[in-house]
Amino acid sequence: MLSYVIRRLFSTLLVMAMVAIFVFLLLHLSPGDPAAIIAGDNATPAAIDGIRQKLGLSDPLPVQFVRWIGHVLQGDLGVSIFSNEPVLKLVGQRLEPTLSLALMTLVVAVTLAITFGVLAAWKAGTWIDRALMVVSVVGFSVPTFVVGYLLIYLFAIELRWLPVQGYTPMSEGLDGWARNLVLPSIALGLAYIALIARITRASMLDVLSEDYIRTAKAKGVANQSMLLKHALKNAGVPIVTVIGIGVALLISGVVITETVFNIPGIGRLVVDAIAKRDYPIIQGVILIFSGVYVLVNLLVDLTYTVIDPRIRY
Amino acid sequence: MSTRREILKAATAASALIASPSLVFAQAAPTRARTLRAVMHGDLAAFDPIWTTANMASYHGGLIYDTLFGIDSQYRAQPQMVQSFNLSDDKKTYTFVLRDGLRFSSGEAVTAKDCVASIRRWAARDGGGQHMFRRVTDTPVVDEKTFRIVLREPYPLLIDWLAKASTNVCYMMREKEALTDPQTQISEYIGSGPFIYNRTESRQGARYVYDRNPNYVPRSEPASFMAGGKVARMDRVIMENMADPQTQVAALQAGEIDFVEWPSLDLIDTLEKDRNIKLEVMNQSGTMGWCRLNHLHAPFNNVLARRAMLYLTHPTEVMKATFGNEKYYRGCGSIFACNTPTENDANTDWFKGGQNIDRARQLFREAGYDGRPVVLLSASNVQHMTNAGLLYQQWLRAAGVNVELVTSDWGGVVARRANRNPPDQGGWNIFFTSASGSAYSNPVSLAGHASNGTNAWFGWPTDEKNEQLRDAWAAAATPEERMAAARAMQENAWNYVPHVHYGQWLQPSAMRANLTGMIGMPELAPFWNVGRTG
Repeated sequence: MLSYVIRRLFSTLLVMAMVAIFVFLLLHLSPGDPAAIIAGDNATPAAIDGIRQKLGLSDPLPVQFVRWIGHVLQGDLGVSIFSNEPVLKLVGQRLEPTLSLALMTLVVAVTLAITFGVLAAWKAGTWIDRALMVVSVVGFSVPTFVVGYLLIYLFAIELRWLPVQGYTPMSEGLDGWARNLVLPSIALGLAYIALIARITRASMLDVLSEDYIRTAKAKGVANQSMLLKHALKNAGVPIVTVIGIGVALLISGVVITETVFNIPGIGRLVVDAIAKRDYPIIQGVILIFSGVYVLVNLLVDLTYTVIDPRIRY
Repeated sequence: MSTRREILKAATAASALIASPSLVFAQAAPTRARTLRAVMHGDLAAFDPIWTTANMASYHGGLIYDTLFGIDSQYRAQPQMVQSFNLSDDKKTYTFVLRDGLRFSSGEAVTAKDCVASIRRWAARDGGGQHMFRRVTDTPVVDEKTFRIVLREPYPLLIDWLAKASTNVCYMMREKEALTDPQTQISEYIGSGPFIYNRTESRQGARYVYDRNPNYVPRSEPASFMAGGKVARMDRVIMENMADPQTQVAALQAGEIDFVEWPSLDLIDTLEKDRNIKLEVMNQSGTMGWCRLNHLHAPFNNVLARRAMLYLTHPTEVMKATFGNEKYYRGCGSIFACNTPTENDANTDWFKGGQNIDRARQLFREAGYDGRPVVLLSASNVQHMTNAGLLYQQWLRAAGVNVELVTSDWGGVVARRANRNPPDQGGWNIFFTSASGSAYSNPVSLAGHASNGTNAWFGWPTDEKNEQLRDAWAAAATPEERMAAARAMQENAWNYVPHVHYGQWLQPSAMRANLTGMIGMPELAPFWNVGRTG
């Protein structure tokens, strides 16, 4: 097990190294010039050249890559070309909103989705099953930003129950923090709920047709116990897998949700950086995201051994 | 065993503990009523208004720095930090004396040394400043509050440059920052303006917080553009970076923000129906849409092909496609934009005659156009540029021109437009951009008005007469002489055609109806003088 974890951590480093090279080349070979954006539209070509020289953007690509990767290996993701602030500091400032949004979405989505999936499988073929599956198809089909606008219109503009936008740090009160996150979490979580609910239903239907479930029923095991203790645990592996895969969905959804709800998170940071060609920020955030994604998948793989002790690494 | 009541007590105590920093914060932060929350047209990406010409940096500068002079609503330069000034009899030496009581937010007094260093750094970057400094021989400091600018020859524009509101604005910084290499961004933002930048409360890319400067001494005259008393009536101004236009409008309607500088024009109808919101055009000189031609390569290295573009362009179609409501756009034939001090109608028969595709086709033929692809760069993330790209593609094809429309985001356009190679080797023939009418009105400071070949702005036009006329405008001693020079410059420009315009638009701003005293002016969003009723 330990050697497996070490091997996986090593492969994580390899994946991140490949991501680093790919992102660097993609960014520097695609059109765009941060110096021209910094200088502004009224700047002369000479002024732009001056800024480019100062920022080291005129150096050959391999020189720029070695310089960047050298800093990364020392834990320094560089400084923003525009604001001069260290990338790690900028990411640090944005971490709480993004983590709050992602965690709240994850908790709400997983709780609701598994409940819906179990319920739909238990009541398979009934109106409850059909209604839940219709909701999940809709949830998966409607884009996050459309859901976001509809929620804003209904709950913030018409009913005035919740704020339209923004983020209140946890340190300024749990009430404000939660109020700002309710609508974005629902908007972001809807597709996630749909995905997990459908997999849960399918996996539960498989398990519920197994002989041991029939035996449990024959022995008079209560429904709640049969569903949660016997069936759900055995249906767990595909559900955990899809939760892990869904993290990628969550990461891409965070970018859109943070924009629609004006949450100052990492998603907004990277979108703004792309528009400005702020290379150090884009490179740094993508590296961090890729690391998180690989580690989440490692966690998912390790969770299998907890759910199903027959699995060994 | 804990009872339910004990658990509830513990939970309440825990909540109070978690929320306690907010209580402390609430005591320190100004109330909502004393705070102005504004969403501007973009993010404040860089903070040094000399290092970049980006308007957002200039907005930031306008709040925290002050200027020696400021333009008023009649575009006249008025003393701001300057108490008095005089010009020597030979008109070659200006002497400036600073007002009493001027202090930086760090507590230090503003001195003549600070001002000289600030002027020198500004002049290294700004087009107008460079033009002026070609004639400056010395900038001696006389005493703590007095300095001079000594010229080689009389230069009537000097005060206008120090007062101008278009980027780069000549903001006064501490000598410490002003001595920074102009190619390097400053890292401390300390000014002597009506607000102080609150770095602790600000979050890069999210929101920028400015607190009223309690030590600022405003002038006694009423506020007028950049001139007069800059009285901060709000304790705090927060510039929010809110990217989504729909969210901006929803937040304004819900009262979470007070001001949206450039609300999406698609949503203007919604805002007009809301009685809690008012719409005002803050910048009456608007923005010009601009079709820049590459003079280095065929077909636009031939003046006849460039003239063809004048006839090819419909004066308002791009505007109509983009802005819809005629209230917010117009055609404009003046090379200095319309509703500006230099607007004139010299040599504008082509404009008065409207679009004439047949004439354009004939001129392309006379220019010897050989059917090679004309490369148009269009930015897909800027609506008027997208529409301009599509319409110019259609018009050029109608005039018999083979067109290659290259679409990217604006970042892609600004990179490629710097490429001087032929269009089939990564260069270009046409790109679209925009500039404020106010900036456009100045023949010298707008880089796009220069026609000095490879030193000129992208497109690199060459025209010696244009350069002589720019100098003549700068040297004009009276407003009448200056206007005559502007007319002559336009007469000449529409003959050699440095570029073409596709319209001028007025962007309304949206704000809560209870806001008062908002100063509408070009180039800047001054938040002094703004108050709230009710």
